[in-house]
Amino acid sequence: MANDIKKLRNIGISAHIDSGKTTLTERILYYTKRIFAIHEVKGKDGVGATMDSMELEKERGITITSAATHCEWKGHRINIIDTPGHVDFTIEVERALRVLDGAVLILCAVGGVQSQSLTVDRQMNRYRVPRIAFINKCDRSGADPFRVCDQLREKLNHNAVLIQLPIGLESKFSGVVDLVTMKAVYFEGPRGDEIREGEIPAEMIDKARAKREELIDAASMFSDELMESVFEENVTEDLIREAIRLGTLSRQLTPVFVGSAYKNIGVQPVLDGINKYLPSPIEVENVALDLDQDEKEVLLENDPDRPVIALAFKLEVTPYGQLTYIRIYQGSIGKGDDLFIARTRKKIKVGRLARLHADEMEDITRAYAGDIVALFGIDCYSGDTFTDGSLSYTMSSMFVPEPVISLSVTPEDNKSQNNMSRALNRFIREDPTFRSHVDEESGETIISGMGELHLDVYVERMKREFSALVSTGIPQVAYREAITRMAPFDYIHKKQTGGSGQFGRVAGFMEPSEDGTYEFDNKVKGGVIPTEYLPAVDKGMQSCLKKGLMLGFPVIGMKVTVNDGKSHSVDSSEMAFTRAAIGAFKQAYNKARPVILEPVMKLSVEGPSEFQGNVMSSVNQRRGMITSSTEDGIFTNIEAEVPLAEMFGYATTLRSLTQGKAEFTMEFSRYAKVPVSVAEELKKDFREKLKGEKTS
Amino acid sequence: MKDFVSMSPLKVLEKSSRKELGPGNLAVLIARAGVGKTACLIQVAFDKLFRREKLVHVSLEEGPEKVTSYYNVMYSDLARALDVKDGQDEHRMLIERNRMILAYLHQSFEIERLRANLKNLVENLDFRPDALIVDGLDFEKTERAVFDGLKQVAGEFEAEIWLSALSHRHITDVNERGIPYPCQQLDDLFSLILQLQPEGSKIVLRLLKDHDNPTVSDAGITLDPKTFLATNK
Repeated sequence: MANDIKKLRNIGISAHIDSGKTTLTERILYYTKRIFAIHEVKGKDGVGATMDSMELEKERGITITSAATHCEWKGHRINIIDTPGHVDFTIEVERALRVLDGAVLILCAVGGVQSQSLTVDRQMNRYRVPRIAFINKCDRSGADPFRVCDQLREKLNHNAVLIQLPIGLESKFSGVVDLVTMKAVYFEGPRGDEIREGEIPAEMIDKARAKREELIDAASMFSDELMESVFEENVTEDLIREAIRLGTLSRQLTPVFVGSAYKNIGVQPVLDGINKYLPSPIEVENVALDLDQDEKEVLLENDPDRPVIALAFKLEVTPYGQLTYIRIYQGSIGKGDDLFIARTRKKIKVGRLARLHADEMEDITRAYAGDIVALFGIDCYSGDTFTDGSLSYTMSSMFVPEPVISLSVTPEDNKSQNNMSRALNRFIREDPTFRSHVDEESGETIISGMGELHLDVYVERMKREFSALVSTGIPQVAYREAITRMAPFDYIHKKQTGGSGQFGRVAGFMEPSEDGTYEFDNKVKGGVIPTEYLPAVDKGMQSCLKKGLMLGFPVIGMKVTVNDGKSHSVDSSEMAFTRAAIGAFKQAYNKARPVILEPVMKLSVEGPSEFQGNVMSSVNQRRGMITSSTEDGIFTNIEAEVPLAEMFGYATTLRSLTQGKAEFTMEFSRYAKVPVSVAEELKKDFREKLKGEKTS
Repeated sequence: MKDFVSMSPLKVLEKSSRKELGPGNLAVLIARAGVGKTACLIQVAFDKLFRREKLVHVSLEEGPEKVTSYYNVMYSDLARALDVKDGQDEHRMLIERNRMILAYLHQSFEIERLRANLKNLVENLDFRPDALIVDGLDFEKTERAVFDGLKQVAGEFEAEIWLSALSHRHITDVNERGIPYPCQQLDDLFSLILQLQPEGSKIVLRLLKDHDNPTVSDAGITLDPKTFLATNK
C-alpha cells in the first residue's frame, strides 16, 4: 500500500465563477477515460457537463454542490472535488480544502485574479493547501497570461513562476512551450487527445530561454542540488522538477500552467503537474483531537493497519438514499465493517462502499488511508468523524462561519409542509452553515445562512428537489427587552368565586441582573410564603419573561428578589402564587424603565486595501462602530460592531462596493439598547400589529 | 476620574515650556526592552481620550486584539488605582468611542498607507484624530524619510504623534545635545524627547528635549511600575 498511497492525489479545483473549473474537470475526466464524450457547461446538447450533477446547476451553468470524482492518470489515482466559485457557497470550498492535499487554482487569462480568486486563495492559505495554477482561456480575446502571472505575485503574494509559455494567444493560441523540457507541445485530434512534441518556434526561443532561467532561478531556492548544477552547467529536467515539487509542497512556489480547456489545449500537462508537483497523502500532516485527553491534538498516520479515522465531509441525497463522502485519514474501511460515529457513539455498518464519478459510481470492497470514497445509507451529519471504536478521536473542527441572514419560509399547502420538513432536515445535515428553527413567538419556520443567494438556492432546491412550494418573508431580528432600574412590587392575588378561593401575596423588587441572565432570589423570612409555593412564584415570573410588556419581546437580564408575602391556609395554592407573581411582574415592570435591546454583531470585513474607505463608509452608514483596521500585505481587515438589523443585504452591498473582492464574517457580540428613533419605529410597528390583531 | 489628570505621566510636561506637545509635532519615548514603553504610551493615550480627544493607536507589531486587551488590562489597573466604581464606566465608553486602532502587520507600514488610512477615517467616519500613538517602529531599521513623513502627516492632520523607541544597554551613543541612541540623529524632528528608566523599584520619566527650549529641567517624575501613573514622591 505504501507505494500506492504515494501515487494517490486528493485535489480540489477552485477559482472564480466562470473561470472554467467545470470545463477543465470535464476535460480531465475525458482524457483519463472516465467519460467518453465532452459536454459543455450550458451545452447546446442539453446534457450539461458531467460534474454539474444537480439540475439547478445545469440550468444556471454554475456548480453549486461539489461532486467528488475519481480518475487515473499515468499510474496515479486522482480524487477530484469540483468546488463552487460563488462567495455564498464558500463552505463547500472550505470543506473541500479540509479533506484535500493539494489544489489547482484556475485563473482566467482575460479576467486575471478576480474577486473569488482572492477569497479562495485566503481559504487555501488557511488550510495550508499547496497549489499549482492554471491560466485558462488563453484563446479568448484579450488573453494575457503574463499579466495574470504578475497578478498572482502582486495581488496574491504568490511566488508564481511560469513553467510553460503560450504559443500564440487569443485566436492564434495553438499550444504551449514546456520550459522544463524546452519542447513545444501541441494538442491535436478532434479533442486534443494526440499530443505532439516539436521544436520551439524560432521566434520564441529567446523568450523561452529567458523564462526558463527565471524558472530555474526560482526553483533552485528549494534545492541545493539544482543550485550546484546551475553553477556546474549540468541542469537536468529531473532536478528542475524535484526542486519545483519541493517549492510547491512548502507552499513557497506556485508553478503556473497555461492553456484553454475549452479548446482542449494544455489540459494533459496540468494532469502531469498534479502527479509531479502536488503532494500524496503521506506528505501532508493531519491531526485529530483526542477526546480522552481533553481534545489534545494527535498526529494521524496514513497507515492502513492503524485504527480507522475518517471524516464525513459531504452528504448528498440520491435516489438510493443518503450518500456520505468520506476521507479516510488512518486505517482502512471495508464492506461489512462496523464503524462508530464519534459524536453520538452510534454504531453503523458499512453496507456499500463506492468510488464516485459525478453521478456514476464504482463499487469497491475496501478503501485505505488517504482515499476519498462514499458510503451509502449512513445516518450521519456532515463533519462527523468515524472510528472503529478503539479511539476517541475526532477530526479538528472545520471553520464554520456563523449564518448572517435569516428569513421565514411558509409552505403553501399541507403537502409542501411535509416536503419542506424533509428538505430542511436534509439541508441541515448537508451544510453546517445552513440552519433552521421554528420561531416560538410567531410559529414560523426560520432559515438562516451565509447570504441571500445561499438561502435563495435552498428555497429553489426545496421547490425542485422536494416539491415544497414555499413563500419567504422579510428577515427578522431578535429584539429583547430589559429593565434598567430597580422597582418594587407588592401584589395580592385574591379571588372568591364560590368553592375554594385563590389567595397569594408576593412582595419584593426586580432589578437588572449583572450577567444578563434571569435570577430568582428568595429572601422570604418566617415562612410568610410557604416553601412549596416559591417555585410557583419563580414560574410566574419566568412566564412573564417570554413576552415583555413593552413591545412583546423576550425579557433578558432581570433579577427578582422576593422578600415578603402572605398565604392563606385554605385558599392558597401553586396557581394562586403563580398568578400573584404575574400580577407583581406587571405592577413593577414599567416602573423599572424597560428598554428595547437589539443584537449587536462583531463584524470583520476583509478585502484589498484599496476598498478600505468604501467598507468603512458602508459600516458607518449601518450604525456601525469601527474599532480597528489591520493592514496585512495587500489586504485590510476592518473590525466593527454593527446592529444586526442594519446588516441585511450587506453581502450584496459589499460585493458591489468592492467588485466582489471583499468578504465578511459576523458573530453575535452582545445586546445593546436601540437608539430612540429605532425604538419609536418598533413601537409604531407594534401598535399597528396590535391594531391588526384587534380588527381581525 | 478627576484624579487621573494629576497622575497622568503627561504630568511630566508641567516642566515643559509649552506644557504640551501640540498639533503637528512629534514626541518620542525612549526606553530599553521591558521597561514599559507601550504601557506608558497607553497612559498617554488615556490622557488624550479622557480629555475627549480622538486618538489613533498605530501598532506595528501586534494585531488589534492584543492592543485592545492591553488597553483593557491597563484600564482595569487604572480604575482600581483610582477607585472607579463599576457603574461609573463613562471612561470605558470614551476609550471605545474615541480610539481607533490601525495595525500594520508583516512590514505593511508605509507613510502613504498611513496617510490614506487617516484620510479614510476623516472622510468616511468623520474621525479626525487629535493624537496618534505609533508603537513598535524599529528606529534602527527605519529611514529618516519615514520620520519626515510622520512629521508631515502630523502637520496635515493637525495631530500630535507619540512614538516609542527601543534603546539598548550596550549602545551608549549620545549626541552633543545629550540625546541618546536611537534618536541621536533624528532629534531635530522631535519636539519632545522623553526617556523612561528603571531606578530601583520605580520608573522615572525624564524630559530630554523640550521644543526649542535650550534648558531642560533634569528632574523627572516617578511612575508606579504597575500602573505607570505618576506617584507623588
